[in-house]
Amino acid sequence: MFSKVLIANRGEIALRILRACRRLGITSVVAYSEADRESRAVQLADEAICVGPPESRRSYLNAPSLLSAALLSGCEAIHPGYGFLSEDDTFAEMTRAHGLAFIGPPPEVLERFASKAGTRTLLAKHGLPTIPGSGLLRDDAQALSEAERIGYPVLIKPSAGGGGKGMRMVRSPRELQQAMTVCRSEALAAFGDDSLYLEKWLEENRHVEVQVIVDRFGNGVHIGERDCSVQRRHQKIVEEAPSPALDQGRREELADNAIRAVVAAGYENLGTLEFLLDRDGNHYFIEINCRIQVEHPVTEMLSGLDLVVEQMRIAAGEPLGYGQQDVVLRGHAIEFRINAEDTEHDFRPQAGVVENYLPPGGPGVRMDSHLYSGYEVPPYYDSLLGKLIVWGPDRTAAIARSRVALDELIVDGIVTNIPLHRALLSHSTFLDGEFTTNLLDRVGSGAFLAASRAA
Amino acid sequence: MDDEGRRTIARLAGDTLPRLIERLTKSELGELEVRENGWRIRLRRPFLNGEPAEAADVRSGRDRARAAGAGATGQPHADRPAIASRAGHPQRAEAARGLVTSPGVGFFVARDGVGVGFKVSSGDLLGHVDVLGVRQEIVAPVEGVVAAVDVEAGQAIEYGQPVARVEANVQ
Repeated sequence: MFSKVLIANRGEIALRILRACRRLGITSVVAYSEADRESRAVQLADEAICVGPPESRRSYLNAPSLLSAALLSGCEAIHPGYGFLSEDDTFAEMTRAHGLAFIGPPPEVLERFASKAGTRTLLAKHGLPTIPGSGLLRDDAQALSEAERIGYPVLIKPSAGGGGKGMRMVRSPRELQQAMTVCRSEALAAFGDDSLYLEKWLEENRHVEVQVIVDRFGNGVHIGERDCSVQRRHQKIVEEAPSPALDQGRREELADNAIRAVVAAGYENLGTLEFLLDRDGNHYFIEINCRIQVEHPVTEMLSGLDLVVEQMRIAAGEPLGYGQQDVVLRGHAIEFRINAEDTEHDFRPQAGVVENYLPPGGPGVRMDSHLYSGYEVPPYYDSLLGKLIVWGPDRTAAIARSRVALDELIVDGIVTNIPLHRALLSHSTFLDGEFTTNLLDRVGSGAFLAASRAA
Repeated sequence: MDDEGRRTIARLAGDTLPRLIERLTKSELGELEVRENGWRIRLRRPFLNGEPAEAADVRSGRDRARAAGAGATGQPHADRPAIASRAGHPQRAEAARGLVTSPGVGFFVARDGVGVGFKVSSGDLLGHVDVLGVRQEIVAPVEGVVAAVDVEAGQAIEYGQPVARVEANVQ
């Protein structure tokens, strides 16, 4: 195992990685931008190195700066967290070229799974059902003919990246032509790559993903699925496991398919396979995330595994050491993303000082957050303030505990989406486990907020 | 202010401003300006002149003199760019006072002959920071005399770390 690790990220995930390092007795070095000098991770780190100005392009995305920081502090490995450089095969390659370990898939694995269109073809070959779609689009004319072949509505998707940027659902050739330009420029701005492809749009679908771990010797296990159907503009808001939309047979079929395909395709380290679930419970593979995910604690609550520790063990070359029969999933867990955004005003991101912060407690309640009273949320990065994760022996118990926890959680001084979470928990669609990915966008979050006020 | 003016300013402050802030943050531009119905929003990076500038400038072209007195206060979200200025680049302001900070993470490479008492013009090379074998220049921010060198040759330095101080010539 490594003795010193550079944490090349910020916010709650930097803190999460730091905790895993502590548990393993690894010395942590936090790389931070000038805007994060007062962050909790920097305060708690064994060592901290300023790697650049607030703009992430010159700090958290600045590969030479991060590598230099790792080398001069004597680190043996870099943990990239999620976002930023976490799935960048060039960065992983540079890391290795400087004699350091990249905590994630090796560069050639990242490269193999870098293109979403290529990954779908590869995993379809290994038996995963995929949504009808196009290859990478050359031009608008090809987009039009491919959309005609697939059948409207179609989803325009960027080949690189995620998070809903550069993504549009279109219902006609006219909408397609209009959206292509916007999607290209959004994709270029967000990921530096404007290649797009098309996918058939499934109405009323659910988003379900399977967590996998594979060591470098080809031993792999799945750790069940997560349901991330509560979304707004393709951004996840609430995640839970197990999925209320799958019966035991479908659940096992999905997870078994996923792990069999990625092992056969030569995947390594922690990963998540995302699927869409149609109304009839059929699953279609959409993409793989080659990193630790925001919603990983949901799986940790069910399995008792520390996924960041597992990630580090595998990157250090250790064998998995257990099999599928050893992975036991218990109870139900729900994660609420606490974001600094104004749900009443189109989810406008907020920045400012958190005057008072009090996390909730009690059995089954976990709060992963970098907040503290007096912390100033900088305006440069995403709006995630933390995650409330609640476990219960079953879904009803988890929801009851979630209500108590959300009522206890205090984040003063900054507008957050906590009211939306409370509203969701009092809405029959969520309580009945019938959320679909387009629901919030279709009816608007205002409808949920208004319903909870009326109740 | 008439109703149309109020609507325009609400839209500028509520919708346009956050988008401009995002764009300015991502870009290397120093300033962005948008005009609509005789109103304009101008965003300036707060550290360009070494002094925290007024970050947001929302005022009417018809009524500039009066609006200038009121500044941007009282407008919804006028506080948001001010946050950006607080978290801005402290070393730019320090540079104006002659503090030399490191532009990168790496090992300090001294320039021969540079030491206390060395006379420099603004922009003169004081040394380098070696970032993975690529040298980034460390230059004098003002004309004057080197008053202190805080790091030794070969020392590991981080971004923004004070490297030297130049005492500016009294004009």
